[in-house]
Amino acid sequence: MNLDLVATTVFVLLFLFVTWLGFVAAHWRKADLNVLHEWGLGGRRFGTVVTWFLLGGDLYTAYTFIAVPALVFGKGAMGFFAIPYTILIYPILYLMFPRLWAIAHAKGHVTAADFVRDRFGSRMLALAVAVTGIVATMPYIALQLVGMEVVIGALGFPAGGFVGHLPLIIAFIVLAAFTYTSGLRAPALIAIVKDTLIFVTIFAAVVIIPERLGGYGAIFASVPPEKLLLAPPAEGSLGSYSAYATLALGSALSLFLYPHSMTGILSASNGDVIRRNATMLSAYSFILGLIALLGYMAVAAGVDKDPAFAAGFTEYGANFAVPALFLSSFSSWFVGVAFAAIAIGALVPAAIMSIACANLFTRNLYKEFMRADCTEADEARMAKIVSLVVKIGAVVFILAIPQDYAIQLQLLGGIWMIQLLPPIVLGLYTRGFNPIALLLGWIAGTAIGTYMAATQGFASSVYPLAIFGVTVPGYAALYSVVINLIVAVVLSPLFDLVARRGATSAAR
Amino acid sequence: MTRKTPGTGWIRYWPRLLFAIPLTAILWVPSYNRIEPSLGGIPFFYWYQLAWILLGAAIVFVVYTIETRITGTTARSKTGPETTAPPGDVL
Repeated sequence: MNLDLVATTVFVLLFLFVTWLGFVAAHWRKADLNVLHEWGLGGRRFGTVVTWFLLGGDLYTAYTFIAVPALVFGKGAMGFFAIPYTILIYPILYLMFPRLWAIAHAKGHVTAADFVRDRFGSRMLALAVAVTGIVATMPYIALQLVGMEVVIGALGFPAGGFVGHLPLIIAFIVLAAFTYTSGLRAPALIAIVKDTLIFVTIFAAVVIIPERLGGYGAIFASVPPEKLLLAPPAEGSLGSYSAYATLALGSALSLFLYPHSMTGILSASNGDVIRRNATMLSAYSFILGLIALLGYMAVAAGVDKDPAFAAGFTEYGANFAVPALFLSSFSSWFVGVAFAAIAIGALVPAAIMSIACANLFTRNLYKEFMRADCTEADEARMAKIVSLVVKIGAVVFILAIPQDYAIQLQLLGGIWMIQLLPPIVLGLYTRGFNPIALLLGWIAGTAIGTYMAATQGFASSVYPLAIFGVTVPGYAALYSVVINLIVAVVLSPLFDLVARRGATSAAR
Repeated sequence: MTRKTPGTGWIRYWPRLLFAIPLTAILWVPSYNRIEPSLGGIPFFYWYQLAWILLGAAIVFVVYTIETRITGTTARSKTGPETTAPPGDVL
């Protein structure tokens, strides 16, 4: 592939524009950025519209835009589980998170671990929450780079070697610099550009591409029939049905527990902003539905059989489906716009994720265990440095380690993340749970979930659970969090009893 | 801010029961795993789920509206400690 000059120029110009925006953001709603909640939560001042852009830019990542259609392209109907998932997340957002916001705001919590520490008075439980968040988010940041790498490769930059990775490294240095200077204000402002570009690209795609391919009827007619629907389950199994439903539900339950979602939510200016967004964010879900359909458009366009794209598919696999579709359907300058949308779409979540990790490290590891007496300025300085370290880590991760590992780790990350559901969600409504019981539940859930994924060779998170002779394949995250919850509920009264006995005997 | 006195306990959260509708519809996979009736060449499986995105949003909107206007559940959040932003600060 040769370098597409027009597309690359448009791409670079848009990239320069958001870089400038990232630095200017430091002056937006000016405040002292040497205080952690100003740097790391934008001063909790974002209203409905900014929060809409920020959460939309945060949750619908570049990796989503590449991976969801790639899954539909490769596996058909099963890849569409992202749609029920995205329908379920908003009732969950509405039900739980305005309350979390209110408590966090009143008590000055910056992270979910702050909240759990305060609710249950346990440093160890808070540590578990913080470590889970950081470990699960790191591979997710690395995967944002995968999305960016694919479009940079599709522009015609040589793949592989130091020169091949150079554009990616430059992009990440830029990202690291403006995150350091502007904090959460940078991704919030850039998200507005990113989402606008995505909306334009997708609307153009769903109008122009079907027209060239002979309409939606022709697109679906070209998809092999066995891919078009979920395979009907065999006798004695719930097969693809339970897998589809549990993947959607489990992913939806874990989404808002991720540190970057939490950061987006806590930066809102009030609970009503979150409630309104539970309705308005559906616009992104609809866009995601259309993006998923791009997978079938790529099938209909036969991009995988086009010799011009053979090298791309060899290098990036099914992830190359959408870039190839854009290259074959759009004129050069619009390819530049579309690819910039995806690359900038990687910057926004990567920035928020690194800020979220930095907040967690600073508040719940550094301040809690290393320097209890650190000042507000120390706290903010530490967070800024950690945000740099996290991003360097992500770049090293993606350059040094095979990409399959990042994908497997992200898959495990979903299983680990959902284990925070009991401490966080139960904590919203009651303090009545024993922290040791919650901690043991977390250990049990994490271990069993990891085991379930291991039995599948870390290639799939769907575990064929056998209940009363019926096989129910389902998302390991959902199964393991049920065990987590059972352990917490059963052991909580026991540990409370032991604690009370201990207290009375000590008083004697 | 004059509103009807919010009900007590869990009763005033009744609109949230509406969330059971999208939950049931979307998790009951066999009900929509079919081609017909297709819509403009799009199989049922696909347009039905896309339609639920809009219906789901509508249900959240309905719950929000009832809770703000009628049961006053969220009224508390507007007068409580949450009002740090200047009134009417949408952006």
